[in-house]
Amino acid sequence: MQKEDRKIMSFRKEQRTSTIVISIAILLIVMASTLSSSAQSADASLPDAPALKLLASNTDQAQQNQAPPPAPSANPPQPSSDSQKQLSLGDLGLTPDQVKGNAKGQALLDKRTRMLKDHQRLGLLTTIPLAATLFASAGAPCNHNCGPSTGADLHAALGSVTVGMYAATAYFAIAAPKIPGTEKKGAIRWHEALAFIHGPGMVLTPILGAMALKQQNAGEKVHGIAAAHSAVALTTATAYGASIIAVSWPIKIKFWEHK
Amino acid sequence: MKRLFVILALSTLPCIAQSDSQWVLDSSTLSYHVSHPLHEVDGISHAALGKGVCHAGQCSFLVAAQVKSFFSGDSNRDLHMIQVTQGAQFPIVSVRLHLPEAALSSPTIDCDLEIHFAGQTANYQHLAFQQTVQGNVHRITGTIPSTLTDFKITPPSFFTVALRNEMPVKVELTWHSL
Repeated sequence: MQKEDRKIMSFRKEQRTSTIVISIAILLIVMASTLSSSAQSADASLPDAPALKLLASNTDQAQQNQAPPPAPSANPPQPSSDSQKQLSLGDLGLTPDQVKGNAKGQALLDKRTRMLKDHQRLGLLTTIPLAATLFASAGAPCNHNCGPSTGADLHAALGSVTVGMYAATAYFAIAAPKIPGTEKKGAIRWHEALAFIHGPGMVLTPILGAMALKQQNAGEKVHGIAAAHSAVALTTATAYGASIIAVSWPIKIKFWEHK
Repeated sequence: MKRLFVILALSTLPCIAQSDSQWVLDSSTLSYHVSHPLHEVDGISHAALGKGVCHAGQCSFLVAAQVKSFFSGDSNRDLHMIQVTQGAQFPIVSVRLHLPEAALSSPTIDCDLEIHFAGQTANYQHLAFQQTVQGNVHRITGTIPSTLTDFKITPPSFFTVALRNEMPVKVELTWHSL
């Protein structure tokens, strides 16, 4: 009797254990499949690569605007086997406005860069007549027996070339398109601030120089406000040089070690 | 009885392993470096966004940043950078990668990257990134050895001298799983 009871008891125990194991297993399967399907449905609700579509649509826009044709690889990548799971820029929280290309904006930037490159080239070239004018200034003033002199004429001619080239340089900087919403930061602020010194200086210097030349040609010693010509010219040239250095700052000291 | 338990346990395991998980980018530092005889320039962005999805043991990640979010210390230079990289036309730089889920726990991650930038797509194979894991937080660091020509960018010049072609991008990303 006892043996039979034990058998029945152990059979019931096994039955209970197996019921628990089966129910746990079913629960796990249900949970896993629920999680998986909810994630899949979440992915299914995600938009299909809006960014790439926008870029592609913008490509058309760029072509309409006769902008340079974008490279073929800007097209959406080849769909892979898991393309349904492919994340898009929209999934990151980027708005269509943020990912949309702007052909007009690009054209504006291109024009700005072109004009500022011209500004840079002309600005560097202007340093040549500027330096020559400064050297020629040594033979310009008279100490005694003032009158017309070749040294003064050469200095005046070189000065005129400098002012002309400077004006052209300034034109390209002033006329270059401004990009709205750009806060100026860094070395460019010094470069532009120094223009408030060499700009007026480039206007004043030739005026004072002409006055000084006139006085000198009249046999007079340079006097009055015209006597400030050299000081104004030197300040202008210094500010101009500093402006070039400022826009290049910070300069790598051992640039010749560049590989 | 034991057999039944083992069979049932084994049958449930794949279901658990295949359950999806998501990753979100907490913070990021992306910095490109360009070189010129007169200059060494680093442009840094902390504005990248990123997400990852793991499914069936495979994970896909997408990281993106606005080109204009990079700051090099000079707004004028940054505008030239945006111009030369066609940043107005293609305002987003994005990086895609696919990984086996198991790689997310190893200290070094070997992966292939697909980068969309400046209207071009460049692929980089077998890049090694270092990973430190602290609980739920994964910090990934590494360098992408990109060049200007990878994206068909004409090297800009300064004082008539062109920039070097190399443009390594340092990456520091902190992720957490949901």
